Amino acid sequence: MTTLTAPAPRLRLGRFRDLTLVPVIVLLLIVGAFLDPIFLTTGNLTNVLQQQASISLLVLAEAMILISGKFDLSLESTVGMAPALAVMLVIPATAGGFGLGLPGMLVIPLCLLVGAAIGAVNGFLIIKFQLSAFIVTLAMQIIVHGLQLGPTEGKTLFELPESMLYLGSATWLGLPASVWIAGVLFVAGMVGLGYFRVGRSLYAIGGNSDAARAAGIRVDRVLWGVFILGGMLAALAGVLETGRLGAVGSGQGVGWIFMVFAAAVIGGVSMDGGKGTILGALTGVLVIGLVQNILTLKGVSGFWQPVVYGFIILVALMISRVAGGKAQD
Amino acid sequence: MKIGPVVAGAALLAVIAACGDSTPTASEGGGGGKIGVDHPRADSDFWNSYMKYVPQMAGELKADLMQATNSQNDVSKLVNNVQALTGQGAKAIIMAPQDTGAIATTLKTLENKKIPVVSVDTRPDKGKVYMVVRADNRAYGTRACEFLGEKLEGKGKVVQLMGALSSINGRDRAEAFGECMKTKFPGITVFNEPTEWEGSKAASMLQTRLEQHPDVKGVYMHAGGVHLAPTLQVLKQKNLLVAPEDPKHIFVVSNDGIPQEFEAIRKGEIDATMSQPADLYAKYAIFYAKAALEGKTFKPGPTDHGSTIIELPNGLEDQLPSPLVTKENVDDPALWGNQVK
Repeated sequence: MTTLTAPAPRLRLGRFRDLTLVPVIVLLLIVGAFLDPIFLTTGNLTNVLQQQASISLLVLAEAMILISGKFDLSLESTVGMAPALAVMLVIPATAGGFGLGLPGMLVIPLCLLVGAAIGAVNGFLIIKFQLSAFIVTLAMQIIVHGLQLGPTEGKTLFELPESMLYLGSATWLGLPASVWIAGVLFVAGMVGLGYFRVGRSLYAIGGNSDAARAAGIRVDRVLWGVFILGGMLAALAGVLETGRLGAVGSGQGVGWIFMVFAAAVIGGVSMDGGKGTILGALTGVLVIGLVQNILTLKGVSGFWQPVVYGFIILVALMISRVAGGKAQD
Repeated sequence: MKIGPVVAGAALLAVIAACGDSTPTASEGGGGGKIGVDHPRADSDFWNSYMKYVPQMAGELKADLMQATNSQNDVSKLVNNVQALTGQGAKAIIMAPQDTGAIATTLKTLENKKIPVVSVDTRPDKGKVYMVVRADNRAYGTRACEFLGEKLEGKGKVVQLMGALSSINGRDRAEAFGECMKTKFPGITVFNEPTEWEGSKAASMLQTRLEQHPDVKGVYMHAGGVHLAPTLQVLKQKNLLVAPEDPKHIFVVSNDGIPQEFEAIRKGEIDATMSQPADLYAKYAIFYAKAALEGKTFKPGPTDHGSTIIELPNGLEDQLPSPLVTKENVDDPALWGNQVK
């Protein structure tokens, strides 16, 4: 089977397509530094990283799914639903839980399990049932969010087990734990998709799944794995977000998916599959986080923020198009 | 990915989703006619309390309520639901249009059908309403400003975590707070954070602002339900969650009056909240809907329940009282936040 190994990535100019946002980031850092003296301090930049940690995990998941030629809109609902359900399984009925009396230690494993289950259902419907990924995950987005509203009756869960709050609020070696977690997972994603056979196979599947199948890649199994991994990453994003906010609100994660797609696409990930890198997706998240931070620091009026924000995303898209040289799909 | 079938499928799904909750079952009973209720959303603590009070109050007032519909914060669903409710024989409608402009045509249709409308919490911009049942949201902003202004002795910096500016309630609170600060406490700098009622944005914006201005001394949150936990979490991480006597203490005023805010006031983590009367909203919405069916009319002026009716171009508005809750009166059993478990 050795002949089937995808060619190892070479350091050619084409590879810098994934780094086209680096000039944008540098530009934002310079502009930000001029606009506000606090911007370039470690404290502020650490805050930006912490604020982007959970959404970055969604971008990581979506980037993998897009690269393998599929789509997942349901990730944003998992961010709220998986922690909500896991918390309800362990907290007493008086605090709004199911009153099952499961130990609080189990809350994070349960949450990841819920995320994996949602990914598995997506995988089943898309791969085994051969349904359109777009519509399946659109329906799942609605269902999964409903599965949060139903049991919680739309209430915010305030009483959380300590283990649920820990990851999103702890500090390890001077940096928030969530930043470390996101960092490690991104490195794992880069190495996995860059140098490992199973990771490289995502590109093969996303580029041409029939050819990938003919070449002996277990397409279905890999795709299924990607969806399950995506669901788990979204659930973990939910854990980090819950720790940061101190409660599971009924709107947690709602509306994130557009930001996730924006970050992935300006970071050079193709909506058609087969192209893009995890590093590129990461730069996309950073751009969005820095823009948000600058808008807040400058106190841009709430009526105009969406305009400025959307406009900057478009400019970033154009810069990455010009710098990348290739037409975007 | 082919876009044609995708769009068709998406449209179908949207239609199904829109129809999902517009099939209420009519309840038996007569006398005065049936009252149709549409709830605005299912994802906020305040509205969930309100939804619980509605059937309870209807029982007390002996009103004939139909099965309530829910428009999930979507004005087009509200329009569909109202059509379904009137089709099933509703003689009066209670609604809470979150988009106060786009409901005008529906109100016009209802007026032609001689179906009176009670609008809860929001004031439709155009179209006839029998009564708007609503707390005075401008008073919320003003009282929060006065409370913070006095605590800060007229100087320093405060952060305002605003709701969505597309909602009249968010706008009223923000404007009144800003105006009051400008006229009464010109020495106080206000930072306005457009959080769109989102906890995630509130946490990021407050964290960034505290990094930029570590000397911020006050916070006004527009909605305790979404802003409370994120604010406390940010303050905790910055080690600023200290007793009111401590000079590092940041004064926090909230809005809504949910039980968790009361708990935080008891612990000294926040200082005050405006109790938005979910119980009175439900009670007087049904009271006025029933009165409309009985052909009663009301005039502007003080009422028998401690509120004032004011005249609007398109109807009347009963501005219900909403008490400021502080450490002194937080255990008052009459507050609705103390009645829910």
